[in-house]
Amino acid sequence: MPSPRPARRRIRAGAVAASCALLLTAATGCGGGSDGARAAHTGRGGTLVVGATGSLPNPDTILGGAGYEGTALVGFQIYEGLTRYDLSKADAPAPVAPALATSWQVAEDGKTWTFTLRKGVTFQDGTPFDAAAVVFNLDRYLKKGSPHYTAALGAAAQEYGSDIASYRTLGDGRVQLVTTTANGHFTDDLTHLLIASPAAVRRYGPDGFRNHPVGTGPFSFVSQAAGQEIDMAANPRYWRGAPKLDRLVVKALPDPAARSAALLSGGAGLIDYPNPDDLPRLRSAGARIATNSYDHLWYWILDQSTAPWSKPQVRQAANYAIDRKAIAGDLLGGTAGPAYQAAPPGTLAHDPHGDVYSYDPAKARRLLAEAGYPHGFSTTVTVPTAGSGNLLPVPIAEAVQRDLAAVGIKAAIRTTDWSSLLSSEAKGQVPLGSQALAQSTTLFQSESLLPLFLGTGSPFWTGHYSDPAVDGLIKEASASVDPAVRQRDYRQALDRVTRDAPWLFVVNDRNPRALAPDVHGFVQPQSWFVDLTSVWVGK
Amino acid sequence: MRRFVLKRLLLAVPTLFGVTAVVFATVALVPGDPVLAFLGPGASPAARHELAGRLGLDRPLPERYGDWLWHALHGDLGASISAQRPVTQLLLPACGQTLLLAGAAFALVITGGTVLGAIGALRPRGLTDRLSGALSTLSLSAPQYSVALLLIAVFAVHWHLLPSGGTHTPFGGGPFDVPRHLVLPAVASALVPLGLTARVFRAALGSVLASELPDALRARGLSRTAVLRHCLHNASPALLTIGGLQLAYLLEGVVFVETLFSWPGLGQLLYNALTARDLPLVEGGVLLTAVFFVGVNILVDTAHAAVDPRVRSSR
Repeated sequence: MPSPRPARRRIRAGAVAASCALLLTAATGCGGGSDGARAAHTGRGGTLVVGATGSLPNPDTILGGAGYEGTALVGFQIYEGLTRYDLSKADAPAPVAPALATSWQVAEDGKTWTFTLRKGVTFQDGTPFDAAAVVFNLDRYLKKGSPHYTAALGAAAQEYGSDIASYRTLGDGRVQLVTTTANGHFTDDLTHLLIASPAAVRRYGPDGFRNHPVGTGPFSFVSQAAGQEIDMAANPRYWRGAPKLDRLVVKALPDPAARSAALLSGGAGLIDYPNPDDLPRLRSAGARIATNSYDHLWYWILDQSTAPWSKPQVRQAANYAIDRKAIAGDLLGGTAGPAYQAAPPGTLAHDPHGDVYSYDPAKARRLLAEAGYPHGFSTTVTVPTAGSGNLLPVPIAEAVQRDLAAVGIKAAIRTTDWSSLLSSEAKGQVPLGSQALAQSTTLFQSESLLPLFLGTGSPFWTGHYSDPAVDGLIKEASASVDPAVRQRDYRQALDRVTRDAPWLFVVNDRNPRALAPDVHGFVQPQSWFVDLTSVWVGK
Repeated sequence: MRRFVLKRLLLAVPTLFGVTAVVFATVALVPGDPVLAFLGPGASPAARHELAGRLGLDRPLPERYGDWLWHALHGDLGASISAQRPVTQLLLPACGQTLLLAGAAFALVITGGTVLGAIGALRPRGLTDRLSGALSTLSLSAPQYSVALLLIAVFAVHWHLLPSGGTHTPFGGGPFDVPRHLVLPAVASALVPLGLTARVFRAALGSVLASELPDALRARGLSRTAVLRHCLHNASPALLTIGGLQLAYLLEGVVFVETLFSWPGLGQLLYNALTARDLPLVEGGVLLTAVFFVGVNILVDTAHAAVDPRVRSSR
């Protein structure tokens, strides 16, 4: 896209502002203004406008429908669960922390959980949070036939609540939740089961609540243009202390050029996923680019039910053939890191010493020859044209295609749209009948989802990868409430996956965000989610 | 005249019917699953099955279409799958935004096209003709996407004069807030139709001026302005035809402008609905767009008939 020379912006802007003063009575402010002067002394205040990549979620608790991006910017700002992610640190994967529950114990059976609830918390509408509110919300999500249950809520609650067998209040501010099987990631799951104000749900009903959502989170809902913009204000009663910002605005800006323009023109203070090509220009305009590891893998799923991907050496050869550093650095401008193993950095399963695949085309050719393909082979891959978390799917796939061709693997790219791809995948098929499929995934951000993608016969069993040892390890890890055991088992499982190479590990996204120069206090955690309570806007 | 309008209205019914049937079939037949798009890959097969059943997606296609048509005839366009709201609740505000944008662009097209065209026709081969010709050629041939980006780069990013997108400033903004947001997208959408309109109008007015009409009028002693008024009137049917076409183009063609300027109109809504395979929303949006098109056509034909008696008598 055409770009003016930003280095000269200030001088010319002054001259033009003078000459245009007659034509345009008011020049646009770039946010802040008088707010900024006040903020300079206090280190708080201001309005943060966030430019989000997709359409915005339904603000009714778990209904969302806009992926983790929607949960991050809206769901987790308005509401909390019994637990939450501590997103205040950047140097380790964000741990689960107490939220509406201050502490919990799990019984010997690994299934019976007792949560002690936080005292003195009020919802944004002033009504108190208590054990009855927890039961009310779980009824709303899980109990068919209860007054506020809807089929949509029930379907959405499957993702994180399908494990809950029963729940009850124990009196004196405690609740007991029982799971059907031992669940080591139960407290992770509970971060997503958001607790809404029962008074507000009763008052506005199932259709009205989405226009008047009320939780206990740091920001209260003010207004929305459905799917386009959600305006929020600081919750002065927030139990962790009122956020520094006065207001938070989340806008849907799906076009990358529009997002960059919004940041550069002062229309937004923070944008998600700036186009990697725009980074130099954003930086030269004073914007800060925040990145960090988090649970994200951009990969090809190789269908090993057919030759030649059925041979491990062939899959390993492909993994040695690609120059991940070039893709992450040159093509993606450092917004991603090379993926040398199955587990993404920023997850508990990542092993700092577990990298296997370097860029070694000679070794790739040798492995191919050993597998009986000295002259390589031709194959096909289906690539989505866009889609949540898929970065620049076609350009990345083309870079992989070039690297593979250099060792003799000629992969023809077939593009399709994200929705079509997902629906084939849900049937366990590679779309368009290709032999591989390019996409991105998270593995551990929600461990409850891991069995969907990995494991023999899993619902999205596109690549037909099967290793009973991996299945067993994942099952064991998932059932263990001991974090050390979970980490050990997951590492072992993912190490087997790395070596067996059912996938072509390409890059791990680093979740880039661009921040305007007047946005302060932002911490980029190792997570999909963000804590905006420490952010303020001003000069 | 009434007969003429009535006939056109009756002809519109099968058009709309055909459009909705074709779109229903197309969206239902292309791969992609609205339930999966909505629930995300994390949903269990049981949850997906249940939601599909609740939405009636497991029923045969003709039955679903019949059902949709029956409700649509009663003003009920169903509920959007992705937004879980009545389709009309989403369509009407988006429709308002598109009309606002298309209307502003149309005003630019008509005034700009008339002025540029008239300048060219009245002073052929003069400096002003060359300038207006160059302007209309430029607006016709410049790639719209690049021009739109250039407008943003210059007026929003470089000079900070106008916002880069959206319809309003969150939490406030003055009385000129919406017009300020409207300027860049309206100019970007107006460019191509403006150039076209200027060219057509220049040609139409030119041929009227070259005919015997002005001489005849002058011979009868009419003043210069009166002669010009008559000539403009005779050239106006061409303006109506091209203007009507451009209005239709604007209603449909603002999609990319809406995306680039984050303008929450019909185009953006329909695009998102299509990617989510949100059939009720797609159907509703397409129906509305088709109604627009047919309506604009009838309006233009009627206006044409009103201005030019030959059109009325020939039908």
